[in-house]
Amino acid sequence: MDLYLPIAEVSVNAPLLVALGALVGFISGLFGIGGGFLMTPVLVLMGIPPAVAVASMANHVAASSTSSVISYTRKRAVDFRMGGILAAGGAAGSIVGVEIFRWLRLLGQADLVVALSYLIFLGVIGGLMLVESLQAILRRRSGQPPKPRGDRRPPWLYGLPLKMRFPRSRLYISVIPPILLGVFVGVLSAIMGVGGGFILVPAMVYILRMPAGVVVGTSLFQIIITTSLTGVLQAGRNQTVDIVLATLLLVGGVLGAQLGAKASSRFRAEELRALLALIVLLVGLRMGLGLFFTPDEAFVLMTGAG
Amino acid sequence: MALDIPSPTAPQLTASPAAVSAALTATRVRVTSGFHGARIVLYGAVFDPTTKPSDVVVIVRGPEQPIRIARKTKVAGVWVNSRPVVFRGAPGFYITASTRPLDQIAGFGTLRRLGAGIDHLAINAPFEERIETRYGVRDVVVSRLGGDYLDWRRAVVRLKEAASLYDANDRGVTFVDKGLFKAEIDLPTEAPIGTYQAEIILFQDGQPVSRKVRTLTVEKAGVERTLYLFAHRSPWLYGLVSMALALGAGWAASVTFRRN
Repeated sequence: MDLYLPIAEVSVNAPLLVALGALVGFISGLFGIGGGFLMTPVLVLMGIPPAVAVASMANHVAASSTSSVISYTRKRAVDFRMGGILAAGGAAGSIVGVEIFRWLRLLGQADLVVALSYLIFLGVIGGLMLVESLQAILRRRSGQPPKPRGDRRPPWLYGLPLKMRFPRSRLYISVIPPILLGVFVGVLSAIMGVGGGFILVPAMVYILRMPAGVVVGTSLFQIIITTSLTGVLQAGRNQTVDIVLATLLLVGGVLGAQLGAKASSRFRAEELRALLALIVLLVGLRMGLGLFFTPDEAFVLMTGAG
Repeated sequence: MALDIPSPTAPQLTASPAAVSAALTATRVRVTSGFHGARIVLYGAVFDPTTKPSDVVVIVRGPEQPIRIARKTKVAGVWVNSRPVVFRGAPGFYITASTRPLDQIAGFGTLRRLGAGIDHLAINAPFEERIETRYGVRDVVVSRLGGDYLDWRRAVVRLKEAASLYDANDRGVTFVDKGLFKAEIDLPTEAPIGTYQAEIILFQDGQPVSRKVRTLTVEKAGVERTLYLFAHRSPWLYGLVSMALALGAGWAASVTFRRN
């Protein structure tokens, strides 16, 4: 059943989009990420104009994150104070990111920067996560005790001013690192059309040293705030949110997110991380390696007259 | 709509008693949620007291859309887009249908004067000789196209043809009876919204002898139109409503699943 989208102005297969939303929602619930890094490239491959894909994706990510955050809240696995601090940085970052993206589009280099960002960030994070999780799996298989968690936090986390208590995360640190992290993720999310969970989750584990139990819920909470803002901004400034596209995706997305959150308890944490690392790595390579091959068509039409 | 629209660039027609008349079976194409392209059907008649062989050419043009096109070049091992070049004068949709291939119907000069055929479209890139500064970015380089201008122009046509937005069907006009012809033109799903012009030209002995213009409107209708207007007239409210829907759906799913 094909459906014509009023804003994207293309015809799409509706059941296929619902299924895609469900699949990405499942992955989102399973790993505690927004899933934008998967959704945006797939929508663009399906022929939806990139500007519309990036903007409408924000609604889908907000919906499936809401659906899973409520489950995490019941398990008391969300640090709202930390999430709020991250989101404040994220809001500032996404406003800056939208401006950078407009400028890059005028230069005609948006495609390049998007592809390079995918290759670099997804490649590096996917690679690091894969190595780390495979080591953890091997260590467990060979019967060794898990590597003792380095409780020695980097001293700069304590040396900075503006300290704040985060009881849920059992932290007493400066708010500067979380705000900077939020800004960085906000900029990337506007440029790459992602929620940023794939960067936030490892950063919260390895840099902020938050307890593993609250990382996923908190990351999703900050993603809701950032993507809600992005979605409204994109609709208000660029009129690029396609409500029909977003609805199709989120119908599948919210159901998939629930199933994913349920399924996540059946896997070990390091196995989940290895799987996520693999997906992240593959998407990064798929998006980025195209830059190195000779294109079939040397010319590209750019959308919008600038 | 049977008005003949006099065009400022109306070509000089050869004096001849022959005349052409035509009508579209539908002057409105409604783009609704089930839109999957449309077929434009046009019927026409040739009135000619003589028995000279006649050829009919139908040209359907969509609303003009400026085109931004870039060329990929290799920089340090990576394929990078060049600065985009803006082409003006390109219709968003351009399909010709004729009784024979255009170059058999009339000569190069005649076709060029009429702008008939993709090769004769007046697409040009005036921007390349200007420097425009927008948002502090020097958008365009001076006179960069020069020698390979034709490559760029051909690329515009090739990419538009790949999207079925430009085409030439040299059997698209058929005579169904003596003096009565029919033309069919397919509008793809990606066809731009706006006002289209169908130009019907009668050729005899390689010269245009009669010309008619009909207009056609491609417009969004029903729910599509309502949503499109909502998104453009009150964008902030639209954004808030669609985000509220998204958050509500997430909450509803969570509540539903908790009960089960």
